[in-house]
Amino acid sequence: MSSKCRGRGMAASWYGIARTATIDRAGAWAEIDDGGTAKIVTGVTEIGEGILTVLAQIAAEELGVRPEDVTIGDNDTARSPEAAHAGATRQTYMIGNSVALACRDARVRLDSEIADHWGVDAGSLKAFNGEIWAEKTNLKMTMEEAVDICKKRGVVPVGSGSFTAHGTGLDPEDGSGSPWQAYVYGCQVAEVEVDTVTGEVQVLGIWAAHDVGRAINPRGVEGQIEGGVVQGLGQALMEDYKLEDGHTTTHGFAKYILPTSLDVPQINSILIEDPDPLSPLGAKGIGEPSLVPTAPAIMNAIYDAIGVRITSLPATPEKILAGLVAKRERQGTRRHAAE
Amino acid sequence: MPTLDMEVTVNGRDVKRRATTQMRLLDFLRNELNLTGTKEGCGAGECGTCSVFVDGKLVKSCLMPAAKANGAEIETVEGLAKRGELTYLQRAFHKTGASQCGYCIPGMVMAATGALRENPHAGFDEIKERLGGNICRCTGYSKIFEAVELARDAMNGSLPTTALEGPGAGDSFIGNNVRRLDAPSKVTGALKYAGDMVMPGMLHMQVLRSPVAYALIKSIDISEAEAMPGVECVITADDVPGEDGFGVFVHDQPIMARGRVRYVGEAVAAVAAEDVETAMAALGKIKVEYENLPAVFDPEVAMAPGAPVLHDYAPGNIVKHIPIRKGDVEEGFAEADLVVEEDYGTQAVEHAYLEPEAGLAYVDPDGVVTVVSPSQNITHHRHMLAKIIDQPINKVRFIMSPVGGGFGGKEDMIYQGMLALAAMKSGQPVRLVFTREESIVSTAKRHPARITYKMGLKNDGRITAVEFRMVADGGAYGLSTEGVMRKAAILSCGPYDIANVKIDTYGVYTNNTPSGAFRTFGAMQAQFATESHLDICAGKLGLDPFEIRRINMMRSGALTHTKQKLGSVSLGLALDAAEKASNWESGPADVRGSSRSDLGKAGNREPCTLGSRIRASDGAGGKKDVA
Ligand code: FES
Ligand code: FES
Repeated sequence: MSSKCRGRGMAASWYGIARTATIDRAGAWAEIDDGGTAKIVTGVTEIGEGILTVLAQIAAEELGVRPEDVTIGDNDTARSPEAAHAGATRQTYMIGNSVALACRDARVRLDSEIADHWGVDAGSLKAFNGEIWAEKTNLKMTMEEAVDICKKRGVVPVGSGSFTAHGTGLDPEDGSGSPWQAYVYGCQVAEVEVDTVTGEVQVLGIWAAHDVGRAINPRGVEGQIEGGVVQGLGQALMEDYKLEDGHTTTHGFAKYILPTSLDVPQINSILIEDPDPLSPLGAKGIGEPSLVPTAPAIMNAIYDAIGVRITSLPATPEKILAGLVAKRERQGTRRHAAE
Repeated sequence: MPTLDMEVTVNGRDVKRRATTQMRLLDFLRNELNLTGTKEGCGAGECGTCSVFVDGKLVKSCLMPAAKANGAEIETVEGLAKRGELTYLQRAFHKTGASQCGYCIPGMVMAATGALRENPHAGFDEIKERLGGNICRCTGYSKIFEAVELARDAMNGSLPTTALEGPGAGDSFIGNNVRRLDAPSKVTGALKYAGDMVMPGMLHMQVLRSPVAYALIKSIDISEAEAMPGVECVITADDVPGEDGFGVFVHDQPIMARGRVRYVGEAVAAVAAEDVETAMAALGKIKVEYENLPAVFDPEVAMAPGAPVLHDYAPGNIVKHIPIRKGDVEEGFAEADLVVEEDYGTQAVEHAYLEPEAGLAYVDPDGVVTVVSPSQNITHHRHMLAKIIDQPINKVRFIMSPVGGGFGGKEDMIYQGMLALAAMKSGQPVRLVFTREESIVSTAKRHPARITYKMGLKNDGRITAVEFRMVADGGAYGLSTEGVMRKAAILSCGPYDIANVKIDTYGVYTNNTPSGAFRTFGAMQAQFATESHLDICAGKLGLDPFEIRRINMMRSGALTHTKQKLGSVSLGLALDAAEKASNWESGPADVRGSSRSDLGKAGNREPCTLGSRIRASDGAGGKKDVA
């Protein structure tokens, strides 16, 4: 028999979006600026997830400009409205929606001036990609011209937005409560190859299906899934911060082993869009949820491959080999009992 | 300090500078030449963020003494393309979204550049192997591989260069793969993280950390350190003017140890001096007298009567207990045809963001205490610091610098308070940059958890009851433990409609490295147990893993474990999508790896085999001399 055994496993997951069991809130300011550009100010900075690009896309869409024309102010408690923390899978949901609201507010100012200028109903105005027009007419101009006209009429097209997510606290006795207004769900399948001689596990493929509400930037969502999966894989198979009487024995990357390019599986992302009905954008989130099902899917796949159930992470080669020995012993006893 | 005269060519320009003999090439580039695109992720040759070319050869500049590079031709990420331009590879990174936090990216770009210089036709496996010395914590590498292959093909002409361009506007910017706006600054190394920032007159901070897990501090003598030339100030808990305490939920952690140390690596004192070496030398002059206390390292032991008490406010060492009750589990188990019990364990995990903690603080001309750092929560940090330094909120300002990876690990105000105090005491800007080791020993980890699971089911697969108990090691301070226990409890039993649940999560103080926020906030540990357990039960009942989940899944309008009525539930869609995309062959969850026919199909990578995948270049351009 070959020493390489393959198997598959799956796991499902759920997750709540934004802060838990409390009211969450975020604010933003918007200004449609000279040259048909835009300024967005909100308390957020990139932590790597792509939020600045997502906010620029949202602002561009709402204001009728282009993403590259949007400038996003730095996160600074003295200069920008509160958007609170960069975590809890809340950036797109909380700050994205507050930016959308701020932009809509700014558009009300701009649109009422332009509608008046053209003598049309403000409701008939549409703007996209640097141009604004009145539907069912030939009236059209660049956003640059529109801002110029608006300002010449004495109005700076600014707006602000505040978005709230209504969670409630948990009852201290029975835990009842509504911790989030938006939930996401996911499911991952893992295919592994286990070497029964070395105990080494390789994850070859992951199929990751996740509901994100609405994917503002699908490639960015994939990036979050890929990153989450590989962190989950690291926890499943190799990462282990160890302490001996409070002193770590894993104080550098030589001892604390992280997944490298050679460890990663092919990751096949499937994006599901079940829009959130309680927010302007319908988008939910993906940062954290992508990690949740990976480790159990891998453990279930290992079991499928070799019949060893790892209940304590990480599934190191030593644990796999010990599991195989224990399994052989169990089978041996069973055979004896049968004889 | 002995010095030497360096004469090197850097990015095509001749440079003459004096360097100290112990300077690494990395320090020379960053500190002397201000080429901060070259990053220090580990300082030990293990991450690749410091990669540069020396005489055409890719090296890790943290391992090379500057002296050894004397006379050499050095190329850094800043020199790959002309200013304002991007190389094919950099454009490809931009196109595919290969940069997330960006901290590993200059090193990745260098390694990838090296790979394609070595072999312009490198295949997928070779690319992976050549990037094997570079760690990325954010991207899962996939989009990086895609970028390198794209650049290779565009350079070879097998793809038109238009393949490197971004998508058009289409009819919406929502749902559009707009290229990341921050990517050009990351692929060129132009973006400044906190540790890259300098201010005139800036001091450098070093931190004295506890060598013991639990002890009383009998005395701290800073007089000798303070008197050292070049030392501007030494701070301890005595310098805190206000209410000393921070934490995401309970404010139980002082800026620096106050009277007691509770874990190895806890900050005890800090020095701000004119350079890092002086600050470090001054640490050696601080005399701390400790009296060891009996410590506790196991959360179950810490919960038991008679255990040492870590925080006076919590006599049982419980940071937080979250109970959830729904229905009647005893009835549920009585109703069950099958009851399955199992224990699960998860380990402590390090965030390992490639950017170690760093910050810069100053007091502005209006007396506003300002801290620039990659903090994930400047709003809350401002509130806490205002109390700690006893200032009105508008006299405290936090600026969030680009975060080189966070994953929850940068939600804690673990060092910003020290920077603020030192800036206030010295009147000068102060910068602190953690070493990798310091980052690992002193900052929060993912909560290690032990979970006891009991599930009752009917023969048809319906779950009748679950009893779930999780004990998590919170370590020495509260940080996010309360919230982690809450989220773990709420999500514990998974998206399944279960009439009877009894859930308890406990976060417990011990003298271990504190645990805190880490991507999924407890949900991962809890659902690892649930999802493993479901497969065990499916195996016993002869059910397919998808089937047992479909039988039990919450549907739109279901009541959660906390009795929240759900709106639309997309779990069924997710199950269907994953099953279909993976071409899952259904069957009982019972070791059918050797017999199933859905293995080894599309969607997998090839298994790695021993032996190098690097082949000699076969293409035009040839192999460069790398000696
Ligand atoms: S390899 Fe040089 S800093 Fe990590
Ligand atoms: S993008 Fe690679 S470490 Fe963040």
